[in-house]
Amino acid sequence: MTCDELRDQYELYALGVLDAEERAELEEHLHREGDPCIEGVQHARQFASSLAFAAEETRPPARLRSRVVGLVSQPKRSWVRAPEWIATAVALAMIAAWLANMRRLQERTLAEARQELSLKNVELAQLNEAFALMNDPAAKQAVFGQNTPKPRGRVFVNPKQGVLLLASNLTPAPAGKIYELWIIPKGGSPLPAGLFQAQSDGTAMYLRKGAVDVASTGVIAVTLEPEAGSQAPTSQPLIVAVL
Amino acid sequence: MTFLPLLFAIYAGEDDRNLAERLKRRDPSVMGDLYDRYGKLVFSLIYRVVRDIGVAEDLVQETFLRVWNRAQGFDAERGALGPWLLAVARNRAIDYVRSAGGKMSRGALELDAAEHPSVFVNFEAEVLSQDRARRVRGALERLNENQRHVIELAYFEGLSQSEMAERMGQPLGTVKTWVRTALKHLRDDLSEKAVTA
Repeated sequence: MTCDELRDQYELYALGVLDAEERAELEEHLHREGDPCIEGVQHARQFASSLAFAAEETRPPARLRSRVVGLVSQPKRSWVRAPEWIATAVALAMIAAWLANMRRLQERTLAEARQELSLKNVELAQLNEAFALMNDPAAKQAVFGQNTPKPRGRVFVNPKQGVLLLASNLTPAPAGKIYELWIIPKGGSPLPAGLFQAQSDGTAMYLRKGAVDVASTGVIAVTLEPEAGSQAPTSQPLIVAVL
Repeated sequence: MTFLPLLFAIYAGEDDRNLAERLKRRDPSVMGDLYDRYGKLVFSLIYRVVRDIGVAEDLVQETFLRVWNRAQGFDAERGALGPWLLAVARNRAIDYVRSAGGKMSRGALELDAAEHPSVFVNFEAEVLSQDRARRVRGALERLNENQRHVIELAYFEGLSQSEMAERMGQPLGTVKTWVRTALKHLRDDLSEKAVTA
């Protein structure tokens, strides 16, 4: 076909709606340098562009602009929303800190409970040992402080299990001091038998384990000594239990 | 209906060459300016084809993103940015309607070729001018109903003459006559010297 015969096809070609056979024929012309069809199609493309004005004007939704702009500016938009991110980050950090603090509290409470349980177990074990020592028919006991407001209580001496001291009205030892138990043989010098502290309510229970020669023991005494203990009493005895 | 706001947006803003250069530099801020200049025209065109606001919004985004991604092949010196953008928009909309209708995308390759950025060079400056808009609308109104219908089927639906004949239930020869006559009237009207609006 000649260019004149193809002239009516230019616009349809520019619009992309030319049937295949006609399109192929026109494209042959477009590949020839200087072919008049090239300029004709160029005009037709401008004509096709103008047909956009045939569409009735329709106002797009206001949100569309930000959607289009957001297609390629995500990082910038995220900075615009930085305050929200900061608030979120701060809130998350506060929650994390609160959770961590709660966890620390729980762990500390659990540790304290374990420690207390452990102490209770020790106390229970000591009580069991104390009851066993007291209930043993071989044990010998002595009372002290009956006629004074100061420390009073009872001492049990068991030949196999040791010495048990139960006291009340015993003020906790001051700083740097501690109570020391003494086993004083008849006619002999006091033998150190261990250190202990009184409770804040003035009670004290101390068990000195080990075999004791009950027959040769004359007195069980308690003195206030330096914190490290003494090999011989350095103060007047606060408790004296005569067997 | 008035295109004045739309045309004001096109001609009161930054010129196409600067926009094209910013596109090629991949300056993200160009998208807002490009949308301000052509967004309404692009949306109007796409909405006319798909007749659904939500779909039109999606296709407008797709159009601008496609232009952004293909800008490296565009000649900022000689290229016609607006016509290229409109060609991409029209092709996206027609392709959507064809796909949504379950039809084979017969023209997909043709449409892709028709929107290649290298095609849109050495256009007249007034292709999207106010005067051109007025004359396009005037020329279309002067066509008879059948002539206007075939032009609309070609532009807004991407139908070939054979498809128009099938759609309209008319002989192919009759449709070709309507198309040829319509195009001659439009060509004659639009090739006249531009007059002041």
